[in-house]
Amino acid sequence: MTLVRQYLRSLLNARKLLLSTFLLCFALMIYTPFLIIVFRSIGRGWFGRLWLPPEYTLDWYQWAIEVTDIVGITKNTLIIAALAVIMATLIGIPTGWAFGRRRIPGKELLMSMILLPRMIPPIAYALGVAQIFYRLQLIDTHFGVALAHVAVCAPYAILVLSATFEGLDERVLEAASVCGAGTLRSFFHVVLPLIFPGILSSMIFTFTTSYNEFTLTLMTYGKDTTTLPVRTYLAIGEGYWEVTSAMSILLIIPSLLVLFLIQRQVAPEKLVGGFKGV
Amino acid sequence: MSDPMIELRGVTKRYGDVLANDNVTLKIQRGELMTLLGPSGCGKTTALRCITGHNVPDEGEVWIEGRNVTSVPTHKRELGMVFQNFALFPHMTVFDNVEFPLMIRRMDKRERRERVMEALRLIRMEQYEKHYPREVSGGQQQRVGLARALVYRPKVLLLDEPLSNLDAKLREEMRFEIRDLIDRLGITAVYVTHDQAEALALSDRVAVMSAGHIEQVGTPDEIYDYPQSRFVADFIGLSDFVEAAVISLDSAGEMVTVQAKGLEILISGRRNMSPGQSVLLFVRPNDVELLPASSEAGTNVFLGEVEKMTYLGDRNDYRIVLGDGLRLRVQTDGKVRFNECERVKVYLPPALCRVILE
Repeated sequence: MTLVRQYLRSLLNARKLLLSTFLLCFALMIYTPFLIIVFRSIGRGWFGRLWLPPEYTLDWYQWAIEVTDIVGITKNTLIIAALAVIMATLIGIPTGWAFGRRRIPGKELLMSMILLPRMIPPIAYALGVAQIFYRLQLIDTHFGVALAHVAVCAPYAILVLSATFEGLDERVLEAASVCGAGTLRSFFHVVLPLIFPGILSSMIFTFTTSYNEFTLTLMTYGKDTTTLPVRTYLAIGEGYWEVTSAMSILLIIPSLLVLFLIQRQVAPEKLVGGFKGV
Repeated sequence: MSDPMIELRGVTKRYGDVLANDNVTLKIQRGELMTLLGPSGCGKTTALRCITGHNVPDEGEVWIEGRNVTSVPTHKRELGMVFQNFALFPHMTVFDNVEFPLMIRRMDKRERRERVMEALRLIRMEQYEKHYPREVSGGQQQRVGLARALVYRPKVLLLDEPLSNLDAKLREEMRFEIRDLIDRLGITAVYVTHDQAEALALSDRVAVMSAGHIEQVGTPDEIYDYPQSRFVADFIGLSDFVEAAVISLDSAGEMVTVQAKGLEILISGRRNMSPGQSVLLFVRPNDVELLPASSEAGTNVFLGEVEKMTYLGDRNDYRIVLGDGLRLRVQTDGKVRFNECERVKVYLPPALCRVILE
């Protein structure tokens, strides 16, 4: 009996071993490119043949900051992202309200039309956007680039906000009015606290979307509106792999910060559904 | 009688083509618990929402405490309300939920705390003040809802199916708890439910509603013993209905003989009836008596056969066929037992046979 049990247990262990091997391989596949960039950005004389760089330096970061004007470019990126967030939120609130709280005939069809810019290949979409923008002279303006980003940001905002508003229970609002709260007070004491996490997560989503957007920026940017992803891409062409790597790392930092904020401040389950029920 | 606390005067409300309330008129006295009872879609919730102000009636008026409030917004009506899905504020703790109406009324902070703790003690939830609604059970959530509705001492408490989201056992406990609270506070209450047992157990008076209008208003025993329409008799408790025609009356008009499917049934009625008139006879299945087939003949004793018998533990449920195909449902206590296909005698007590004049 004990022999059989031992054999079974070893089988179980073998399965565990297999599982952890797979997980490790998967993690390596995902994280290796990232590790290479990290080492590339802080190593000197590392050509990928050695396991670790022979020498460490922060020069490439200095180069990235000084030579490529990363401060100005970050400013561009943030201005564009902020404009895109504002526009997407202004579009998303009323649209999300209508989708989440009103009966609209053909709601599913409308929703899929709103999501369409996210479905078609960005480059095809960007081509059309660029042609219109040249005619309207919106190329190389912060507003123009942000407007192009709205096409992909707004669907996110609408999706998240309509779920948030849908989760807002009509009965809770009625309870507030029976308790004596007029429109204004029930908005500030009840509605706003309930929808705030939804609005915040919508803004975070649209911010990261705009911040990381590449294709649409590539077709609409100019020398005054270069963003971080585009500049990083251009740096590859200039041939400085180490500087490019350093820029990528700098590019990642704000996204990591946002991710950290999401984890800390907003519970993930509140991100999409809002407060659904009690 | 003094002025009613709440009065609906000819309230009519349409949703598109649907007539949800059709000329509803109802007076609710100070300190009484009035239940609006009816199947779903009968307009009871619509009527309640006209009282709260969440609905504005298309026609008619709503009066509260001698004041026409038809166009007064909800938040100025000074009501307390308990909701079916509890409708607590999910982002506030139990304490904050109960404090909300006092905060809105800008009450002094120290008094607020005292009043909230007093209300939480009343519902035995003072140790849960810092919990969020989702962290306490359904029954506790509903008690918090009750405390929130009562904390600012409104004169009127409205309850919209407050127990139907709770399980059966809890529902019965809460039923008594609510009645107890209302008695202690001497508040006027309007209670909406589709559960007839709840309505009979709780109410001072019941308004039975159907298809947007009020069928009958009365105390629970009036509603149960003297329903004025087939709908009410059918909705409240079990009923056997028999179409009948009046044959003769005694001189005082007290004892009436009716004929139904070839049987002559004597009933003791106080209603004004005349020979030849057709009436609907109804009797409660547990008022009918079953006797062995060998027992003596007499008035209102008829021979029949057990078609089906169902054992229900404390009761037995029979379907009996009388001569000429008249089918009756009869419930007896568990001790009286007849088998299927057995012949029995059925006794319909004259005082418990009732008529509905239609």
